[in-house]
Amino acid sequence: MRRITRFATVGIASAALALSATACGKTSSDAASDSGEIKAAIAYDIGGRGDQSFNDAAYAGLSKAEKELDVKGTEAEPSDGEADADKVQRLTSLARAGNNPVIGVGFAYAPAIEKVAPKFPDTTFGLIDDSSVQGDNIANLVFNEEEGSYLAGVAAAKVSKSKTVGFIGGVETPLIKKFQAGFEQGVKDTDSSVKVLSQYLTQPPNFDGFVKPDLGKAAAQGQLDKGADVIYAAAGLAGSGAIEAASKADKWAIGVDSDQYNQKGLAAYKDNILTSVTKDVSGAVFNLIKSVKDGDPQSSEIRYGLDKSGVGLAESNPAYTKMTEVTEAVAAAKQNIIDGKIVVKTTP
Amino acid sequence: MSTSNASAASAAPKAPRNGGRRPKLTLPVILLIIAGGLALFSLVRVISGANDLTSVGQVSGALQLAVPIGLAGLGGLWAERAGVINIGLEGMMILGTWFGAWAGFQWGPWVGVLMGIAGGALGGLLHAVITITFNVNHIVSGVAVNILALGATRYLSNFTFAEEPGGSSKQSPRIDAIDRITIPGLSDWLADLQDKHWFFVSDLAGVLGGLVTNLSLLTVVALLLIPVTYWALWHTGFGLRLRSCGENPVAAESLGVNVYKYKYIAVIISGGLAGLGGAFLAIVSTGIYQEGQTGGRGYIGLAAMIFGNWMPGGMALGAGLFGFTDSLKLRGGAENVHAMLLLIAILLVVAAAW
Repeated sequence: MRRITRFATVGIASAALALSATACGKTSSDAASDSGEIKAAIAYDIGGRGDQSFNDAAYAGLSKAEKELDVKGTEAEPSDGEADADKVQRLTSLARAGNNPVIGVGFAYAPAIEKVAPKFPDTTFGLIDDSSVQGDNIANLVFNEEEGSYLAGVAAAKVSKSKTVGFIGGVETPLIKKFQAGFEQGVKDTDSSVKVLSQYLTQPPNFDGFVKPDLGKAAAQGQLDKGADVIYAAAGLAGSGAIEAASKADKWAIGVDSDQYNQKGLAAYKDNILTSVTKDVSGAVFNLIKSVKDGDPQSSEIRYGLDKSGVGLAESNPAYTKMTEVTEAVAAAKQNIIDGKIVVKTTP
Repeated sequence: MSTSNASAASAAPKAPRNGGRRPKLTLPVILLIIAGGLALFSLVRVISGANDLTSVGQVSGALQLAVPIGLAGLGGLWAERAGVINIGLEGMMILGTWFGAWAGFQWGPWVGVLMGIAGGALGGLLHAVITITFNVNHIVSGVAVNILALGATRYLSNFTFAEEPGGSSKQSPRIDAIDRITIPGLSDWLADLQDKHWFFVSDLAGVLGGLVTNLSLLTVVALLLIPVTYWALWHTGFGLRLRSCGENPVAAESLGVNVYKYKYIAVIISGGLAGLGGAFLAIVSTGIYQEGQTGGRGYIGLAAMIFGNWMPGGMALGAGLFGFTDSLKLRGGAENVHAMLLLIAILLVVAAAW
């Protein structure tokens, strides 16, 4: 009897582990047999597909390429708290399966691409949001987030009545600091009497600040209590908490990465989403795949700024487009940045 | 309010007489300690000018962050009092967030709360079957529950949330909010009082105001569960038997207590409470389910319970401390933290002088 129960327990435990393990590492690789076909792969960042933001934008680029360029797409999801070695393995298997290009979504893939890229010289590796790792077959797809954030700062300063605006960063990384720097400069250049409250949710290596909306909500509530009436949250999923708090207090929120006014998950709060700082990740992914297909793969740093519409401000909220004074100021600032009259800082 | 009790405080036991029994904390002593702590906070606030330290928003934010931790801790308390270590609280919380959101967005938030409890209790039942019937090591089983919950919810999301408008394989559509209550005249008056930044009075007003402003009904339920737990475990025959199963199962068995039954009940309730904590996180704190939302709060709850010496009151204090420091950091950042450093410095000086 005792032995039977032991066996049963071990059986249950190992079945449980096996089930969860298969649920974690989902890799939908529909390998094509035809070797002449172009195959592209993207490996997602923390959050994975379905985050309604960064990763979904990359997926949109891939699916556009599937439709228009007749490319076979493969996706790979990360697991929580994985190490660089897992990323190396993922990229290696994607490259070995004949995918070209292989795109790592997010700066977290930089160390892994540095290791894998030299082993597959004929494969182009795309790396989004990072230019620290360079190579002949590495295309660094980077964005001038600070320029988009500058415009958000201009809009915030113009809209604010209490002369106090808030910035919430998800995790204190160099990438998010670019958002902060641009926003603060935009506010100060427009109206130096406006105060900017800046707050980060977590410090690396704790990346909770990108995924926990309740943290964003608490931080936004704190800034609202201090009199802020426009809140710009560059915090991934956690930003939705900040938008919720701002909306409940009937103040303005500024979204990030994609046009959050049109997101279904935030439909209840959309009237208070003034605008969003958009980042054309899908376009960048599409361009890279297209360049490989055309036989002239992109390499080294590909920078998307205001001039190429790689970043910008969304104009889908009618309340925002009605404020002509604000939109004119934003348009003027945009022109000045493109003409090089305004240089936006990348560190606060 | 506490000054009237000050004289009674001196009646507290002075020195342990028979072989080092700990002095018992009576209600007046506790109130005096709270008042003293508040006065110290007030002093720090006046000196540092960090007026957010005891504001209404701060306290209500701390409460909101503390409730999930507290519920997980309460769950841990039930299990440990019955002699089962429940490291699977995190997994049960994950089940609570998922089931709470799944039912919540379709049939309203209160159904979500019930389903969240049921989901957590299901995790508790699994843990109970493995540890009590099959005698597996509690830690091993708990860790297995954590991994299983994470994988199962991730798998289920693909069939449920991914097909709903506004949802995806990582998050649910929005759930309707639970009613929030604000006591009309009182909260405004307390908020005004707090805004004056007077010594002590404003701090007291801020703390009380935080407890009566914009309070979710589920928060009230969660707060009530703490005295309910204390009453059920220490003032009923059921509680006595349950604790005896934890402290000495053989003796309990010899006196005719069905130890298995009590352990099962305790671990299932434990899972249900953790599930409620998860449902609170999904429904009240954020309004959506999101993968990885619990972020280790189950473990923090366990820590809060150990901090509180396996007692409901102490556990609540521990959860409150975690919630307060979280809220402090999120709302004010450096300014608040510096004020806290001053508080610690004062405490160290007092300790050294003593």
